[in-house]
Amino acid sequence: MASKFWNQGGDSETEEEESDYEQEDNGIAAAEEDKAGGSRYLHSESDSDDSDGEKRVVRSAKDKRFEEMSATVDQMKNAMKINDWVSLQESFDKINKQLEKVMRVTESEKVPNLYIRALVMLEDFLNQAMANKEAKKKMSSSNAKALNSMKQKLKKNNKQYEDLINKSRENPVSEGDDDDEEEEEDDDEFEDDVVQHEKKEPVEDEPKDDEKEDWVQQLNKKDRLMEKQFKDPSQITWETVDKKFKEIVAARGRKGTGRIELVEQLTFLTRVAKTPAQKLEILFSVISVQFDVNPGLSGHMPINVWKKCVQNMLLVLDILTQHQNILVDDTVEPDENETQKGADFKGTIRIWGNLAAFLERIDVEFFKSLQCIDPHTREYIERLRDEPLFFVLAQNVQEYLEQIGDYKSAAKVALRRVELVYYKPQEVYDAMGKLAEQAENEDSGETESGEEPKMDTSRALPAFVVTPELVSRKPTFPQNSRTLMDILVSLIYKYGDERTKARAMLCDIYHHAILDEFSTSRDLVLMSHLQDSVQHMDISTQILFNRAMAQLGLCAFRAGLITEGHGCLSELYLGGRVKELLAQGVSQSRYHEKTPEQERLERRRQMPYHMHINLELLEAVHLICAMLLEVPNMAANSHDARRKVISKTLRRLLEVSERQTFTGPPENVRDHVMAATRALSKGDFQKAFDVIKSLDVWRLFRDRENVLEMLRVKIKEEALRTYLFTYSSSYDSLNLDQLATMFDLSDAQTHSIVSKMMITEELHASWDQPSRCMIFHDVEHTRLQALAFQLTEKLSVLAESNERATEARIGGGGLDTLPPRRRDGQDYAAAASAGGSKWQDNLSYSQGRLGSSGGRSGYNTGRAMGPGQTGYSRDRGGQSRGAGGYSTGYQSTRYQDTAYGGTGRSYQTGSIARGSHMDGSTRMVSLNRGVRA
Amino acid sequence: MANYDLTPRIAPNLDRHLVFPLLEFLQERGLYPDELILKFKIELLNNTNMVDYAMDIHKSLYHTEDVPQDMVERRVEVVARLKALEEAAAPLITFLQNAKAVQELRADQHYNLQMLSERHQIGPEQIEALYQYAKFQFECGNYSGASDYLYQYRALCTDSERSLSALWGKLAAEILMQNWDLAQEELNQLKDIIDSKNFPTPLNQVQSRIWLMHWSLFIFFNHDNGRTQIIDLFNQDKYLNAIQTNAPHLLRYLATAFIVNKRRRPQFKDFIKVVQQEQHSFEDPITEFLACVYVKYDFDGAQKKMKECEEVILNDPFLGKRVVESNFSTVPLRDEFLENARLFIFETYCRIHQRIDMGVLAEKLNLNYEEAERWIVNLIRTSKLDAKIDSKTGTVIMEPTHPNVYEQLIDHTKALSGRTYKLVSQLMEHAQ
Repeated sequence: MASKFWNQGGDSETEEEESDYEQEDNGIAAAEEDKAGGSRYLHSESDSDDSDGEKRVVRSAKDKRFEEMSATVDQMKNAMKINDWVSLQESFDKINKQLEKVMRVTESEKVPNLYIRALVMLEDFLNQAMANKEAKKKMSSSNAKALNSMKQKLKKNNKQYEDLINKSRENPVSEGDDDDEEEEEDDDEFEDDVVQHEKKEPVEDEPKDDEKEDWVQQLNKKDRLMEKQFKDPSQITWETVDKKFKEIVAARGRKGTGRIELVEQLTFLTRVAKTPAQKLEILFSVISVQFDVNPGLSGHMPINVWKKCVQNMLLVLDILTQHQNILVDDTVEPDENETQKGADFKGTIRIWGNLAAFLERIDVEFFKSLQCIDPHTREYIERLRDEPLFFVLAQNVQEYLEQIGDYKSAAKVALRRVELVYYKPQEVYDAMGKLAEQAENEDSGETESGEEPKMDTSRALPAFVVTPELVSRKPTFPQNSRTLMDILVSLIYKYGDERTKARAMLCDIYHHAILDEFSTSRDLVLMSHLQDSVQHMDISTQILFNRAMAQLGLCAFRAGLITEGHGCLSELYLGGRVKELLAQGVSQSRYHEKTPEQERLERRRQMPYHMHINLELLEAVHLICAMLLEVPNMAANSHDARRKVISKTLRRLLEVSERQTFTGPPENVRDHVMAATRALSKGDFQKAFDVIKSLDVWRLFRDRENVLEMLRVKIKEEALRTYLFTYSSSYDSLNLDQLATMFDLSDAQTHSIVSKMMITEELHASWDQPSRCMIFHDVEHTRLQALAFQLTEKLSVLAESNERATEARIGGGGLDTLPPRRRDGQDYAAAASAGGSKWQDNLSYSQGRLGSSGGRSGYNTGRAMGPGQTGYSRDRGGQSRGAGGYSTGYQSTRYQDTAYGGTGRSYQTGSIARGSHMDGSTRMVSLNRGVRA
Repeated sequence: MANYDLTPRIAPNLDRHLVFPLLEFLQERGLYPDELILKFKIELLNNTNMVDYAMDIHKSLYHTEDVPQDMVERRVEVVARLKALEEAAAPLITFLQNAKAVQELRADQHYNLQMLSERHQIGPEQIEALYQYAKFQFECGNYSGASDYLYQYRALCTDSERSLSALWGKLAAEILMQNWDLAQEELNQLKDIIDSKNFPTPLNQVQSRIWLMHWSLFIFFNHDNGRTQIIDLFNQDKYLNAIQTNAPHLLRYLATAFIVNKRRRPQFKDFIKVVQQEQHSFEDPITEFLACVYVKYDFDGAQKKMKECEEVILNDPFLGKRVVESNFSTVPLRDEFLENARLFIFETYCRIHQRIDMGVLAEKLNLNYEEAERWIVNLIRTSKLDAKIDSKTGTVIMEPTHPNVYEQLIDHTKALSGRTYKLVSQLMEHAQ
């Protein structure tokens, strides 16, 4: 019997639009059924036992609870008989506690009838006692006190169950029926309950229209009550709806109010709302109640609720576009009866609400659900398919906000859209557009089939305020993701607040980087000065910044800009916490345990899987960049241990791999790069390239062929440089053709590379043009000479520090005393080093933030050891940081220095150390002597 | 060659009237069909008050004697307005034309204003009228009148915004009258104001700077000293930033200035980096030439670019200025540029070579063998080049330029003793 009722509901209502919860209801019902069935089974068993004359009952936990409860009811009855209010009060408290337990055990939202009946009984008795003034006077003081407090408590308590109590009163028959059975068949109580409903249901429903039936049945008891209240459409007035609405809203958040139930009630109310404004007001409550469905921060909103919520938002927008005079505002408290004004009211109507905030919340829930769902399941994909749904909503909200001139909120909404699109390359973007179209088609198909039940409900109770679907339900996507981004981003730049702008800027950078527009992307980074300010922003923005930098690094690599790529990525890898920095998983730290609190926080900021940047690829790119820069650098400075290190990470890895006794075939990315590094440092470009090529991450690049080709050329070039550094001392002269064939480069390329090395004085050689040979000059210093240079260097450092010490003491002097020529030369070095440290600054975002800035400052002081550079570099840095605002102060020099700082610096210091102490300019003088003089 | 023409990119940053010289130049060079240019001229004139001129052009464009009705109407309108403005400004103008009265003016602006209103009944309205009148004069093409009035207006004006725009007007007028010295003065004044003024947004400031730089092109490439000044102005951090952000095409002029200006080595290195960085946003034979010589060390490429540069210079309204001597016209800048560019290539080339074949060198320098030899001999004689010519094999041999290790060591330590002495004497002073 039980199943009949529920099945009935389940069968006929599956298509029902409002029946999103019904599945859950079904679930609960099934559970109840099970239990009911179980107890029935048990009961029958006990029946057979009965026939044996022995009463041996096996009870489930649930039954036990019920038994306890009924025992308490008995106690209460006894107390009533002797008019003992003190014990009655105790019993009342007890029964309330038991109620909780029962509810927990049965997992239902429904309050057992037993409890309600007890309440009714109590209330009656109380009224009786209050009425009987004489008896009251005779009571002992403690008894009278208990009576009074009981009165209060009961009043408060009963309010929650008002409806149920009323119903219970209306059906004294069942009560009477049950009364006798109760004592004997406690364990059947619950089942009985259900049975009663079934019994009652048809009786109640019969007088009503048949059409109404399915709809009504679906609602639970309270709704049915409401239904009764609003049975006759003609009798429904604004006041009744308003009253009911206030009542329901007041119940929100109170203990014992089912959240889902609340949603349903309110949804029902939207149907009967009299004016558009009222409907709107109620809809807003529905939405905010829907947000409450999932309590706590960790979980996410059930997906069907989410969908429903989106639909409600669309409905809200429909109303708002239809009735332009309704304003949504969350700053002013609207008048009590503001919503009474009908559709024909011409003035403005203010309703409390905040569309942008709602939208943001919906987005957050969407994001959370993607965080929680296991990415390898179908569910995840299904969930991703809801993206267009959200997108259309955001689009509509934004349009509406723009239309009413609230650009600030529109910018916020636009940011949400940007954050939905920015990480998508064109292909994925196209796919999303296609998906949205598909979904649209399916949708229309579905609505057709789902038309019928909808019609039913509308026939059953036509909504008073009919809103046509004015707002488009289909997202429009510009052909190009870039176009979309541009539109949104420019809106944000114009109206957004600081954070919104910064985030939009980062998304913009990311997107440009994805589309292989390195220079635009880089200019945006530099123009926005985000690298300076990002440390003061919230963590999720910092993560976004890291992501953007990672993507920028990949983009630079694809474009063949190795130094830039390395600059972008090296900082991410410095601490070995890439995963954490990109919020793509948690990395365990060996040194300090995280508290659960931290862990939870971290989990909450994780990126959903589909937004991840492939870590293997990132590592490969980073290490390859480092290799290309570091290997020639190591070769150039092999004699000098304290030479500048470009990539600490690579150096460390190299050390580790060199310590191994046997090196096996490469397995992971690191092994591959290490193998390549070993080959490259011998100048064996072919092997190095082959090893790198065998990495399977390359398939992740769109134009894999081009990237590999670029890489091949780069490896060849660096192999050539490494070779020259390493073996130049063994040659007296070397033919260009031979060199070109050796490294499979064209003559022009080889010539250009070698010339560059000569100019920068990395290589002491010059061309012999007629014979196409390079002649090596023997400029290697003897041990003694080298030591002498070191000594002079140290002396000048000493003098420098002396000067500084005096300067600090007595002021003045200092650098003025430097001879002009020397200062000139230093200026370059300082510029270069300033560039270097600035770049360092640029990239120190992640480090500084994580509180491990020790490395950075350490580095800077390390640089300061150079002869007399500190003062200059400081000046220089300050100078170029001074200028510029948000969008204009394009610090070109800054980047400038950085881009070349990397290489330029090493050359610079290299020449100084060798003691030649003449940079390019001094050499150039030789031609210009006449001019200068 | 039209693809290297910068006029479309420069014009939006100029005053209408300043575009005329550019169009004139283009017409002369014949890069575009004449009719097109004439049409643009008319369009340009439509918003000015030089209606008569527009009519003339119209006639020559369509070879008719008829003039469109709206032009005739506009002419009437302009004349009427001119009359009205003249009347409004009349009292002040008569005052200013009276030399005696003008002598009464003092440096103190307040005093002047008071004096004017008390003795000559000239109030703010008249002063405002003077501004309008000057502007109108400028629109009509009477630049000298406009310049005079604006000068006097600035002496009397108290509104700084107005004063600034009067200054712009004055600069334009001076440029159009080709008074380069005066224009230079105005330019400097304007620059100071722009640098010190508080703009509502940084963007406005950048825009002002970009305008200033564009306008200054007229001056710098006509003024004798302009080529140093252009570097001074453009290479300032703020201005360079503005160029990189919004007007990378100006790099051409800066690059040219650097090439013809040998004494700017330190800044030059930085500039090369800028050029390299801006490669993606602006490419031009001149900047490419620099990239070839100083970044890629591609001397063949540099040589090709050099030829292109020549074309570019000839077709550029600012760079390709002609000087006519008797019946023989030259473009001085081109010759200078080529000479210097050659030197650039040669210089770099020599630095990385030990021995160079003269024939190859001649080819690289765009000279014939004899000329090349003479050129090199000259360089050696003026001791710009440490080299010897081996005439038997036809090669130039560079002297090794590696400084002696001991010299270096001495160089290093030489300063130390001086510094130490100074330090000690400072300490002694302090101790006393």
